Amino acid sequence: MNAPLLEMRDVGKTYTKRARATARDVRAVDGVWMRVEAGEVVGLVGSSGAGKSTLGRLILGLERPDRGAVVLDGVDLTSLGGRALRAARRRMHLVLQDPYDSLHPGMRVREVVAEPLAIAGVRRAQRRAQAASALEEADLTPASAFLARFPHQLSGGQRQRVAIARAIVSQPRLIVADEPTSMLDASLRAGILALLLGLRDRFGTAFVFITHDLALARYVADRIAVMHEGRIVELGETERLLATPRHPYTRTLLDASERVRLG
Amino acid sequence: MSVTPAARPAQWRPPGLTLGVTGAGLIALLVAAALFAPLLASHDPTVPTGLPFEPPSGAHPLGTNDVGEDLWAQLLYGTRISLVIALVSALVAVTIGLAVALVAGYYRGKVETVSMRIVDLALAFPFLVLVIVLAAFLGRGLLTTIVVIGAVIWARPARVLRSQVLEARESGHVVAARAMGASGPRIMGRHILPRVAPLTAAQFVRAANVSVLLEASLAFLGLGDPTRVSWGTILHFANARNAFLTDAWRWWALPPGLALTVAVVGFAFLGYAVEERADPRLTRGARRPVRPAARPPEVVDRGPGEPALKVRDLTVQYATGNSPMTAVEKVSLTVPRGRIVGLVGESGSGKTTLAMALLGLTRPPARVVSGDVRVAGRDVGRARPSLLATLRGREVALIPQSAMNALNPAYPAHRQIAEAAALTRAGPHAAARATELLELVGIPRPRHRAFPHELSGGMRQRVVIAMALANNPSLLVADEPVTGLDVVTQARIVELLLGLRERFGMAMLLISHDLPLTATVADDVLVMYAGRVVEQGPTSRVTTAPAHPYTRQLLQASPRLHGPHAPLAGIEGEMPDPFDPPPGCRFHPRCPDAFDRCRGADPPLLDLGDGQRAACLLYDS
Repeated sequence: MNAPLLEMRDVGKTYTKRARATARDVRAVDGVWMRVEAGEVVGLVGSSGAGKSTLGRLILGLERPDRGAVVLDGVDLTSLGGRALRAARRRMHLVLQDPYDSLHPGMRVREVVAEPLAIAGVRRAQRRAQAASALEEADLTPASAFLARFPHQLSGGQRQRVAIARAIVSQPRLIVADEPTSMLDASLRAGILALLLGLRDRFGTAFVFITHDLALARYVADRIAVMHEGRIVELGETERLLATPRHPYTRTLLDASERVRLG
Repeated sequence: MSVTPAARPAQWRPPGLTLGVTGAGLIALLVAAALFAPLLASHDPTVPTGLPFEPPSGAHPLGTNDVGEDLWAQLLYGTRISLVIALVSALVAVTIGLAVALVAGYYRGKVETVSMRIVDLALAFPFLVLVIVLAAFLGRGLLTTIVVIGAVIWARPARVLRSQVLEARESGHVVAARAMGASGPRIMGRHILPRVAPLTAAQFVRAANVSVLLEASLAFLGLGDPTRVSWGTILHFANARNAFLTDAWRWWALPPGLALTVAVVGFAFLGYAVEERADPRLTRGARRPVRPAARPPEVVDRGPGEPALKVRDLTVQYATGNSPMTAVEKVSLTVPRGRIVGLVGESGSGKTTLAMALLGLTRPPARVVSGDVRVAGRDVGRARPSLLATLRGREVALIPQSAMNALNPAYPAHRQIAEAAALTRAGPHAAARATELLELVGIPRPRHRAFPHELSGGMRQRVVIAMALANNPSLLVADEPVTGLDVVTQARIVELLLGLRERFGMAMLLISHDLPLTATVADDVLVMYAGRVVEQGPTSRVTTAPAHPYTRQLLQASPRLHGPHAPLAGIEGEMPDPFDPPPGCRFHPRCPDAFDRCRGADPPLLDLGDGQRAACLLYDS
């Protein structure tokens, strides 16, 4: 079997939380082992505070783990620093929850989308062309209608598509999507999900899809990892995990979802 | 029902604008005086051109000083030095402050700890002592003055701007830039600096204000540059040469004092206006209240059969520019006592505007154009403010959107609930009631005195619900009560709401964007689209046999846990522009079933039997 695209080996991250006079350690991520194959979508599901977002930040190298290794394409990111780490980050990207907050309000769409290229040192003319084609990939067509706009001139759904265009413009191997549809209207959600899956099919981009919603994860994930109190308590192929949950917490999550979702 | 004529909202102007213009005018006046000094004064300020202590005359508008130098010329040329020192020192101070703020706020860690301790020290140090020591040490001169003032006042901008940098650092686009592998300087320059720029401008004006005073103080103490005339040195010499023993102080000391006042007031006004623009939060709540038009007498109709809430033909508009924007259009709904009604709509549907109108909380630029709202038979639109205040909380309680993030961070949960409960009862009873409520909503006793930040999102939402229940309202209006919570917590809050209805027979209006979730709680559902109700009926009917194409598509767009794994179907297109809604049915541009008539005729809500109604011409036979 080929080496996985991403491998988390016993990754842990502890924060010190101060409340009034006392300080206590919170194990946000506590010994996580996980693999993501190229072109695979892994749903990372759990309640708030389970450590999903922290794990996402650890994957992207935005946080340094206290222990363990984050291996991307055979290179341990935790062993890198400075310039090398920044270069490694360019093979990944992220899509955040809030499309209002995640785009710089003072930048035009073409600058927003081309920023990863600018950071990588791509020349201006080429940046333009690539930004335009990324916008088209994200179904913002024709791209010329969007390039000169500012984020505030776009709807929420369009902004999220701009964020996705930015994520794919440098053709990353892996995208961490942290609740990318939870702030969008239901009628727009399906379009965004279809877009992400389409990118996977065309470019073989792998996704770590973070959500609290098992029902939603079912529509995108090949495998689901259930996270609880900093640990991955169950990991399995999506339909199997939903049909025969083994861990009690997975069952809790499933029961709650059944309570507030249509059957 | 008659139309309620509300007063037209007066053209609203930010209060800071007048101040800002005044301030800018005062500063412009001083700048003009400084620039045109050679034109306005006919004498050299540092050459004796008259007799000592001459009173004001045609040749010397402000008289002369003890060596016969023209005081008018001194005042004008002094303005140059005073302003230059103020502006340059402010620039130095804000540049240092901004640099420290950026580095400390972005890199954090030890860099931040050390630099912020230095800032604390600089702020705590008695600055006058520092000023005198520095000035004496460096020797008198223009540069010294600037360095000294800059060194004394950089710390405040540093502290203020650092908190802004910290906030900017956590914003999505900065996180995204870091994830792209951007370098620190790039992120600071491209992403953080533009965000803190408006506040930096405000800090600059503030610093100029302080500098102009500090320069005067330094010069007055004799620590300024003795070879150059500034307001401070004029005052220094006026004092040193006994101007106050004669009438000479009137033309010698008073004019620079006044100039100083003009500068300080000008900078202060301007600073206020700039700060307000930089942080619009400062202006919120400062809007002028609109005087309501004369009201017809209130009609009270409180039969036992009155529903908890009855809304008839309610229309709410926003006064914007030339044509008003209609956010809620002829909405009618009824919440019978003891029932839970769900109001579902996506963003732009008008549901939050509606919620505000239900409690008489519509504020300009929004206004209720027509229709009426009755809470337990009382007409909210025509109720006097005092009655409205009584209604709110006691008859009807509102849980506004994101209320759980708006709890007062300074007080423990228990105290905030006791405060709400104190509306109808004395202190000790209010405290007891708060305890009772917290238990009711399922917060364990040890957590009652916790501060909001110590509670999870679900716990905070429980606190908010407890607060809404404080005075036994018969109707609870909750705007997005579970949005932002995870599924497990959502399920628990839903259980809590159902339990409350069970125990107290409380009526509820739940407003949400989430149709599937609402369907698990509500007895009846209304679906809104672009300001109108498009479908309503018993929940089971609406979810199993949706009549309106929008409702149907909304359901198809909702993920399901079981059943065939077909891809989710979205709805083509986007919400219509509220300023330019499509004619006819608002949904027709996105509707797969639309036909010619949909583009022209407004569909009425048609009765489909079993309490189900839909505003769709498909059912118009």
